[in-house]
Amino acid sequence: MSTTLERPPSRAGTESATLAGTGTLVRFMLRRDRIRFPAWAVGLPLLMAYFAVALESLAGTPEDLQGLTSFTSSPAGALFGGPGFGFDQLTLERFLVGQYGLYILVGAGLMGLLTVVRHTRAEEHTGRAELVRANVVGRHAQLTAALVLTTLMAVLATVLIALVMTSRGYDAGGSLLFGASAGAVVVAFGAIGAVTAQLSEYPRAAAGFAGALLGTAFVLRGLGDMAAVQGSGPSWLSWLSPIGWSQQTAPYTHDDWWPLALCLVFSAAVTAAGYALSARRDFGAGLIPPRPGSPRAAAWLSGPLALSFRLQRAGLIGWSLALLVGGVAYGSFTQPLLEGFQDAPEDLLAVMGGSENMLAGYLGLMGFFMALVVTIFVILAVHGLRGEETEGRAEPVLATAVGRSAWIGSYLLVSAIGAPWLLLVAGLGMGLGAAVSTGDSGLVADLVAGHLAHTPAVWLVLAIAALLYAAVPRALPAAWAVLGYGLIAGMFAPMLNLPDEVIRISPFGHIGDYPRDDISITAVLILTLLAAAGAAAAIARFRRRDLVTTA
Amino acid sequence: MSTAIDIRQIVKTFGHVTALDGLDLTVQTGQVHGFLGPNGAGKSTTIRILLGLLRADSGTARLLGRDPWADAVALHRRLAYVPGDVELWPNLTGGEAIDLFSRLRGGVAPARRDELCERFDLDPSKKGRTYSKGNRQKVALIAALASDVELLVLDEPTAGLDPLMEAVFQDCIREVKTAGRTVLLSSHILAQVEALADQISIIRQGRIVETGSLAQLRHLTRTSVEVMTDRSTTVLADLPGVHNLRSTNGYTQFEVDGEHLATVVRRLGELGVHGLTAHPPTLEQLLLRHYGDQLGHDDAKAVTR
Repeated sequence: MSTTLERPPSRAGTESATLAGTGTLVRFMLRRDRIRFPAWAVGLPLLMAYFAVALESLAGTPEDLQGLTSFTSSPAGALFGGPGFGFDQLTLERFLVGQYGLYILVGAGLMGLLTVVRHTRAEEHTGRAELVRANVVGRHAQLTAALVLTTLMAVLATVLIALVMTSRGYDAGGSLLFGASAGAVVVAFGAIGAVTAQLSEYPRAAAGFAGALLGTAFVLRGLGDMAAVQGSGPSWLSWLSPIGWSQQTAPYTHDDWWPLALCLVFSAAVTAAGYALSARRDFGAGLIPPRPGSPRAAAWLSGPLALSFRLQRAGLIGWSLALLVGGVAYGSFTQPLLEGFQDAPEDLLAVMGGSENMLAGYLGLMGFFMALVVTIFVILAVHGLRGEETEGRAEPVLATAVGRSAWIGSYLLVSAIGAPWLLLVAGLGMGLGAAVSTGDSGLVADLVAGHLAHTPAVWLVLAIAALLYAAVPRALPAAWAVLGYGLIAGMFAPMLNLPDEVIRISPFGHIGDYPRDDISITAVLILTLLAAAGAAAAIARFRRRDLVTTA
Repeated sequence: MSTAIDIRQIVKTFGHVTALDGLDLTVQTGQVHGFLGPNGAGKSTTIRILLGLLRADSGTARLLGRDPWADAVALHRRLAYVPGDVELWPNLTGGEAIDLFSRLRGGVAPARRDELCERFDLDPSKKGRTYSKGNRQKVALIAALASDVELLVLDEPTAGLDPLMEAVFQDCIREVKTAGRTVLLSSHILAQVEALADQISIIRQGRIVETGSLAQLRHLTRTSVEVMTDRSTTVLADLPGVHNLRSTNGYTQFEVDGEHLATVVRRLGELGVHGLTAHPPTLEQLLLRHYGDQLGHDDAKAVTR
């Protein structure tokens, strides 16, 4: 699938010297990834199976299915789905690969680039690769082994996806083609990872750069597919994207294999570039030299609060950008969605609050959804706080004139202010998108208010996470259960006709999803008080416990 | 003379493991106190109790006359700490970390900070994640030494430093001592402690097993000598302070107490020396020799680990 495989390791000459030890390394990587490898390679097919089962139960009849097409055939549907091959004569499997297949392809891209970076740059950065390379291991062995491993994952995912799809009674040829389309994206982004791993010294930068290219590939094909659906504009943009090539195979419709050949040529060329770049750099170094920073701290960086802000600043900036873009994207969905779901099945409409109230229902649901996303931010923030302690950075800070309460309190305060800020950004983005999409500028204020109203619920989860961290640090991951329950109660309870009490255990079930529901001021006040009490308890508990120290 | 650190009968357990088992430690103000012991003996645990990061199960601890747990913040204004394993924020530069620590402590001396960066040859504009272990340690050392505090608490502060930087570190500690400040120096580098410390405490399995001035502990430090001579060395065996003399074919090995070294060297001169090495015993050898018999074989093995 890549150049490495077309070059069998010979026993003599310099070529074999640079590849010495590749086989052993592949086995070693398989051993290291004995959980991770199947988790990815089985996870993607399982996700596809889930999509298939969910769609079959939601839109079991051809009429239900046809009701979805006016949405999916719209430009917005194309942006978040694909070019929609064969949607004029829709079948379940065409809809599956045409609308949900995209997310399998994105997952496949992530799998490829993360696997390569993990076994190349990340190993060099930690210094483990130095130990490995000091043995009888060639210069290119590690990169080659990582690419072989990635290719194995791609093949396994291909086969399993094909089996899953065939087992649901879909055409075997189309199923295999869709599996191979996903496998091709794995290989393509594995190759891209092989290049970005050469550029920076840091694994995060290498993965981040490759991830940005994955995002670019997503957007390019999105714009191209929108143009294709509208019948005018630069539809050739889809052909600049490895994801686009895999979508152009049109499984179950045209069943074209040849776009995948394009992908393989691309992968081979990019992999060759990766090898060439890797030969031009020193071990451990990146082609892009690290930038020096400021030799002095800015004047404002002088207390625990400033430190907490400095530590969360990069995260807040990234989350703000992502939520703004996501908000605009989902907001601009509003009008096509209203048109598209006119005839949607009742079950689907129930989630949105019924067909008569579609607009408010959709906007309210999105506010709730964004509140869950911001909750991810606050739980991750508490994980970051724990990392400060377990990784030994809290100890020297607490050995200065910073008290326990100030240390944990200021960190939580920054996260607590970050929550409404991110909700504001998301609401603003969604409001702008919705206002442009529907031509109703009043939606901006509605959406900002609706998003901000969820702040106390997010605070309560933050307080719960903080309390877990302070009392039983190792139990912190339990905080994710609160988020998971909120998601299930909020998203699926209406569909499953669950009783009200079940929904109301969730912190997110009280305030109301404005503009679908009214905002309950009582709930806002009670949740705020509960959150404050939880945070106070967390601080009090943290003051009294031993610090978790290394060694 | 007043007391900077006064620990009595401290006990600290982690689950079933007893880290400190009735530890006593006294450090006089204005002195450099060497805190010696093998890994896992309880040095870091003792220091973390002194910093209020851990709470003792029983016993009393006074730091600069106050309770290290209850008065942690007030006390931390008057001390600076260098951990053995310095971790820095990956995206903050070394310079930013130094300034931050100084400001969090309350006192800033910019001129001294720059001078120390120069002396320790540290580039403060590099990001934390790019520093080696030694350079991370320099960041913490500079932050501590640049501050104007009464007490320095140093937990194996030079484990990652090269010999040149070790010399710079020793100069800095002598300056600190001249300025009348107190240093608690935890270490397992005996030469460093010998060069710097006025008082030494040796910890084993959570207890202080030996404490005293360097002169008082001098009897612990024997020099190992290997020598090639033309004449027989049996005459040396009768000299005071000579131990374990073994001789074969003109090659002789023995150990000699520091205070008797001069006499032995004078006598050696008469024996036709044509090869000589002498080195002080390592801490491990010393602990083994001193405690091996009374702690039993298993414990002795634990020390060498």
